[in-house]
Order: sequence, then C-alpha cells, then structure tokens
Amino acid sequence: MRVIDRYAFGNALRQIDPAQKGALALLAIILCLALDRPAVGALALIWMLALTTWWARIPLRVSGRVLLTEGLFLGLSIIGIALSIGGKTPETTVVAWQIGALWISMTPESLALVTLVLTRSLGCAAALNFLILTTPLVDLIDLMRRIRLPEGLIDIMALTYRAIFVLLDCLERMTTAQDARLGYATARAAMRSAALLASQLFLTAYRRSQRAQIALESRGFDGTLRVLPLTYQRSPRVWQASIALTASLLLAGIVR
Amino acid sequence: MKPAHRWMLVVIGAALLILFESRTAYAMHIMEGFLPPLWAGFWFLLVLPFWVLGIRRINRLIAEKPETRLLLGFAAAFAFVLSALKIPSVTGSSSHPTGTGLGTILFGPLVMSVLGSIVLLFQALLIAHGGLTTLGANAFSMAVVGPSVAWFIWKGLQDRAPIWLAVFLAAAMADLSTYVITSTQLALAYPDAVGGFAASFAKFGAIFAVTQIPLAISEGILTVLIFNALQANALAELQSLGVLKGVRA
Repeated sequence: MRVIDRYAFGNALRQIDPAQKGALALLAIILCLALDRPAVGALALIWMLALTTWWARIPLRVSGRVLLTEGLFLGLSIIGIALSIGGKTPETTVVAWQIGALWISMTPESLALVTLVLTRSLGCAAALNFLILTTPLVDLIDLMRRIRLPEGLIDIMALTYRAIFVLLDCLERMTTAQDARLGYATARAAMRSAALLASQLFLTAYRRSQRAQIALESRGFDGTLRVLPLTYQRSPRVWQASIALTASLLLAGIVR
Repeated sequence: MKPAHRWMLVVIGAALLILFESRTAYAMHIMEGFLPPLWAGFWFLLVLPFWVLGIRRINRLIAEKPETRLLLGFAAAFAFVLSALKIPSVTGSSSHPTGTGLGTILFGPLVMSVLGSIVLLFQALLIAHGGLTTLGANAFSMAVVGPSVAWFIWKGLQDRAPIWLAVFLAAAMADLSTYVITSTQLALAYPDAVGGFAASFAKFGAIFAVTQIPLAISEGILTVLIFNALQANALAELQSLGVLKGVRA
C-alpha cells in the first residue's frame, strides 16, 4: 500500500486538480459500464495504462502489479461465470464434462460473457488505478469536501488517513519485535502473537486518540478541524485527453 | 484442438495459477467494474439508509462526547490496519482478518456501517482492493450484513453462552454472512445459463469457499484471543466504550 501512496505523492500529475483527474477516471469507468463491449474495456485498459505510464510517469511495472492485486478475485469469479452446472447441457457447448448426474459445461455465450466481464473489469480497474496512483488521498478527501459530503464524515476520513500510517508504523515495529523473538515460528505462536499485537494496537489507537483530543483542546479546538485549502493547477490537456478518450471509446462501442 | 478449447484452457490455467500462487487470502471484495451498472446502483440504494442512520448516530455521539470524533478516526484506522495483519489460516496458507466482528463488538453495528464503508473506500483508494462503483455492494455485505449478524449473535448469546463462544461465533458468522451475501450478489448479476440463480450461487459459493471458510474460522479464533487480551490489558477502555455492559466477568 505504501507503493501506491508514494507514487501518488511523487508523480508528474501531482499538482493537477483532483477534480479533473477524478472526472477523467470516472468518465472512463462510466463509459466502460454503459457501452459494455469487450472492445471498449480493452481500449480503456490501454488508454489508462498509457496515460499512467507516459503522462504521469509511473513505471508500467508498478501499475501492472497494482492492476493484478485483484487477480485472485478476478480469476476465481471468472471460472464461476465460464462454467455452467446443471442436470443437462445447453444446446451448443464448447466443452462438457459429466460428474455423476451433473453436467459441467461451457457455452460460446458464457465464454463471450467472460471476455466481456474480464475486459470491462480490467478497463475500469485501470481507470481507478490511474486516479489512485496520481492523486494522494489527502487530495481526494479535499475533493470530497468540495462536493459537500457530510462534514463529520470528512473529518473522520482525514483523521483515519493520518492514523493509518501511525498505526501501521506501530504494527510493523511490533511485528519485527515479535518475529525476532520467534513469535511467528509456529502457527500456534503466530496466532497468539497476532492477537497480542491486535490488542496492543487497539490500546495504542485508543490512547493516541485521547492524547490528540487533549492536544487539540489545549489549542482551542471548537469541534471543526480546519486545514488550509490546497492549490492545484488546471490543465487543458486533461480536457483534451477526456475528449479523445470519450470519442475513441464511443467509436469502439458503436462500430462492430 | 479448436481455438475455443485452447482459449478456455488458457483462461482456466491462468485462474488456477493465480489461485495457488497467491498465498494470502484477502476478504472477498467485488472488484471495480465487475458488476453491471444496474446491480451496482441497486446495492448503493440498499446501503444508503444504513449510511444515513449511521452518520446520524455518529453525529449524535459527537454532540454528546466531542472526543468521539477522534476515537472514530482511530477506530477506522485500526480496522484498516487490522486487515494488513497476517494470520495463519487453517489450510496452511495465511489470510487477512476483516475486523468486522471485533469492530461491531467494540463500536456497535450502526457506527460500524459507516466505519466499515470508510475502510472499504480506503482499501479501494490505498491498496486497490474493491472499487468505487462496487462500493455499494461491498459495503452492503461487509459493513451492513456482517456487522448486523455479529451484533445479533453477540447480544443474543450474552449471559446464555460462555463469552468466548459468543465472540467466536460473532466474528466467524460475520465473515461467513459476508461471504454468502457476496456470492448472492455475484449470482444475481451473473445467473447460470442452465441452472439460473441457484446454480450460479452454488458455483460462486463453492469457488470462494476455498479462501473464505478458512478465513472465517481463523478470524473467529483470532478475535477470541484478541478479546481475552483486551479484557486483560484494556478493561478500562472496554468499559468506557460500553462493551462489557451486561457481560459477567
């Protein structure tokens, strides 16, 4: 997870308004879902990987690895869509196996559906990854404040983002300490260590939240967390890219 | 060999490779773009009332006790970081706990519907697990149904069963119900060509059982151990959260 966060802060598109980057990613996702054709998904995947690589200057190796984090889910659920189970086989099958009274079969339609879902998911995921690899979460939370999500929710999210890294550091230090004392040598010990670690982590979280509260109150906390608004650049190239993307995806969606 | 045959072998081979290569199993989040738009919207509509209720409850808590705001921020972070923890799974590989059961016992189901959704959103934005358009579906299974099931078991078994059993069942059943709901969501969106919804549900259920049932059992055991450790080390904190109300020591 630190990989994504690191690139989000240090890529070539860091200064561009998150609303623009968000709109571009959302546009690709909506077009992929609405047009619903394998060609559109595949084209969106290529578009988004290309933008991430050449425009945001994030190595293809990194964006490729991030894209495959969901590989397990995708791989498993694709099998579920490809295979049909039933008492009989459909009219036309690509393959069919019989196990007892059940037929496991694969039809040309289910293969077409697999292609569609695979390309659509990868296209959408590449668009989402473009957004998260180019935009730090602080910018996204700022964006959510601008679109007027409830103030209390935004405060909690901003705190959560900060607290995640504090607690993660804590978690890593404790894991190293336990590991050095053979805390993860056997499955039984690992379970005990993990439980001890989680309970200590809970205590750390609880006490840190109280200390932060005291620190805020001593500085005149009145219930709202105010931060300086960030300044961004608006780039006309984002609009050009959006128009080109929309045009090419629409074309891929219409032409047979 | 027909080209379609060859294609099928490639797809299945790749899927199996990914399945056995990845040693650690995460909770089951539906990935971005996987659900057709109608279903994605449907689950958002279903989860919306719980978000409204949860945010109203949080606002009331903050009005009563201002320090709740910071506590909830750290609580969401705690739940997020918990999913970075690696625990041994009963099948020999390892898995990541979801923290749903523990979070519900500590903070209650309505607050958890919001905290769980924040965790899901952050998982989509920070580690690329799950997605934005599928957030509604994932939040429904993991932040609404899971916590509700955990809460009913936890409250229902209080004073009727040993505390470890209540904790174990709350945590394990939260994971299992999340897995059942996610399988349902997938089956509804992609019904089987021959057997319809039921066959599709059986397929997805069977496929994901490989990762999700060991996860539920491991997380149940882990949550019992965490709860014991919390009772030993953090009794005052548990009492101030109101967790031990009605629990016999």
